[in-house]
Amino acid sequence: MTNRKAKYRALAGPILLIVLTGYAVLNLLVQSVGTYQGLPKQDPVTMHEERIRQLKPFLPASGAVGYVTTVENEAIFASEKSFRNVEYLAQYVLTQYTLAPLFVRNSPEVPMVVGNFIDGPPPPGLPQRHGLVPVKDFGDGLILYRRGGGP
Amino acid sequence: MTLPILSLIVALMIGLLLTGLFWPSPRRGAAGWLLRVFLGWGLGIGVTSLLYFLCLLAGLARYAAAADIALGLTLGLILFIRRRGEREALNGTAAGGERAPLRSWIAGVLAVELVASLASFIVAVLKEPHGRWDAWLIWNMHARFLFRSGPGWREAFAGGQDWSHWDYPLMLPLSIVRGWSYAGMEEGLFPAVMGLLFTVLVLGLLLAALVLLRGRTQGCLAAMVLMGTPFFIAMGASQFADVPLAFFILSCMVMLFIAARPEGSAAGPLVLAGMAAGLAAWTKNEGLLFALVAAGSLLGITAGTSGWRRALGRTAGFLAGALPVLAVVLYFKLRIAPANDLMAGFGWAALGDKLFDIHRYAQISKAFFVTGLSFTQGLFDVRTGMGLNPGPVNLLVVAAYLFLAGIRIERTDRTALIQGATVLMLMLAGYFLVYVLTPLDLTYHLMTSLNRLFIQLWPGILLTLFMIAGAPVDAPDDPLPVPGKGKPRRKAKGTK
Repeated sequence: MTNRKAKYRALAGPILLIVLTGYAVLNLLVQSVGTYQGLPKQDPVTMHEERIRQLKPFLPASGAVGYVTTVENEAIFASEKSFRNVEYLAQYVLTQYTLAPLFVRNSPEVPMVVGNFIDGPPPPGLPQRHGLVPVKDFGDGLILYRRGGGP
Repeated sequence: MTLPILSLIVALMIGLLLTGLFWPSPRRGAAGWLLRVFLGWGLGIGVTSLLYFLCLLAGLARYAAAADIALGLTLGLILFIRRRGEREALNGTAAGGERAPLRSWIAGVLAVELVASLASFIVAVLKEPHGRWDAWLIWNMHARFLFRSGPGWREAFAGGQDWSHWDYPLMLPLSIVRGWSYAGMEEGLFPAVMGLLFTVLVLGLLLAALVLLRGRTQGCLAAMVLMGTPFFIAMGASQFADVPLAFFILSCMVMLFIAARPEGSAAGPLVLAGMAAGLAAWTKNEGLLFALVAAGSLLGITAGTSGWRRALGRTAGFLAGALPVLAVVLYFKLRIAPANDLMAGFGWAALGDKLFDIHRYAQISKAFFVTGLSFTQGLFDVRTGMGLNPGPVNLLVVAAYLFLAGIRIERTDRTALIQGATVLMLMLAGYFLVYVLTPLDLTYHLMTSLNRLFIQLWPGILLTLFMIAGAPVDAPDDPLPVPGKGKPRRKAKGTK
């Protein structure tokens, strides 16, 4: 009787794992099938890369460019750290990811400055405040500036 | 994509030669050879990334492929000379001729789960072909800088982009760069291929090691638990360095177990264990802690069980594999990398405050408990905070399996088991201390990193737990023999 009990108990172990891992793997597969059906034509990173890549012919191959966006530069990292908004940091990082090995400084204090305004037009007065003069507007919220003297 | 894949094939060849050199006779036929392939491939990728780094330092990056071939030929020659005259013994074929029903079922379920997990992985890559946040913020970003900068690659480390963590080791970025350099251009999907490869290598290594050491059933069940961990699949597809780090941690632990068995009692497996520990340090900063605690526990525990003489001998073997790699890591850290963000924010005044702040200990303990039971399910939602989410597969399920299957510890595995458990506990203790002292916001740091730290250790934890599991009743195991066991190993045809 004890042997039989021990046998069933030992058998229960693998069955427990087979059932639970099977459920977990199939559950993930079902989720993946749902994800696959809803996949957009392009992922967000590739879309952002294609936008930013338009800047390349107008920028030096090495060195550094500046960066401005809808919020002040200091708020880009602060918003992410406080879990309020990760989008501005993601847009900044992806700009650097696309333009590497050119350094993209999180500052407008650089002769050439990338303006990345996905959420809408630049905040009123922002370019003037930093002494930025538009060089080229690529549309879709992407503007290349140069610093044209003090604000 | 053909040429970057070729770089991976070359890495496999070099890895096979390395394992052939330091672990000449993996017995048990298919399981032994599979273990050699999975272990060797990962080690080969690590070693060739180191070689690429040396080529970069010497200004010879364009000759990286030639350097790979030269290394392969050298290893092949050494192996040939060593083996010349040795009588090749044909060892056992595939394990266990018996076809117990449960074992067949388990193998069948494993195959289905493997296909399903692969499909989930591919969908995750299609959704995010550039990987997730840290992939393009750190690992693939570094690869792009290093590849595109050409001879000016050092400037990337002094560029002031500290948020991209330029102090992080280079195994993963340089493996990607190496693949691109074979092709002479960036292949966008190659980082995802690396992610898939390391995910498969961890899975295969866990499976093959347990089949070899404990039998087919335990190997299959452990691999199923790993595949049933959605976060493991997600991390592999995310193209982070945590899965490669998990591979090197697991490799080191596997070789420590093999070194404890009679067939692995020569120094070779210890050299490979040390090499894996060094490559862990070349993959992520956490790997430095791992290399330290692995060497320390090997020395201390072997001294306690077998005396200092044996402990020093075994640790010397381990260090022979680890030190050459660690020397390169040290050079990178001291001469090229900027300061680590945790160290940069380090101050003695704040240190005392944090060390004696009981609330920090309470918060970290709670986070360890919640994450320890939930990490298998993925990242926490930073907006809602940490909450228990154990999901269908977690540590408790494995504990329940052990309760049902019982515990069976082989005499020769005891020391390696104590070493493995000690390493895992010390790693967790080290992570705990880092959180106590972190200059970053504690909640932010815990929320964004703790579950990844657990996933790095998860394959090693599974190895350790399945090494002590009793065999299911109708699934007779046929593991690598241990001294003093009555059950003889099956002889293969042609052996005397």
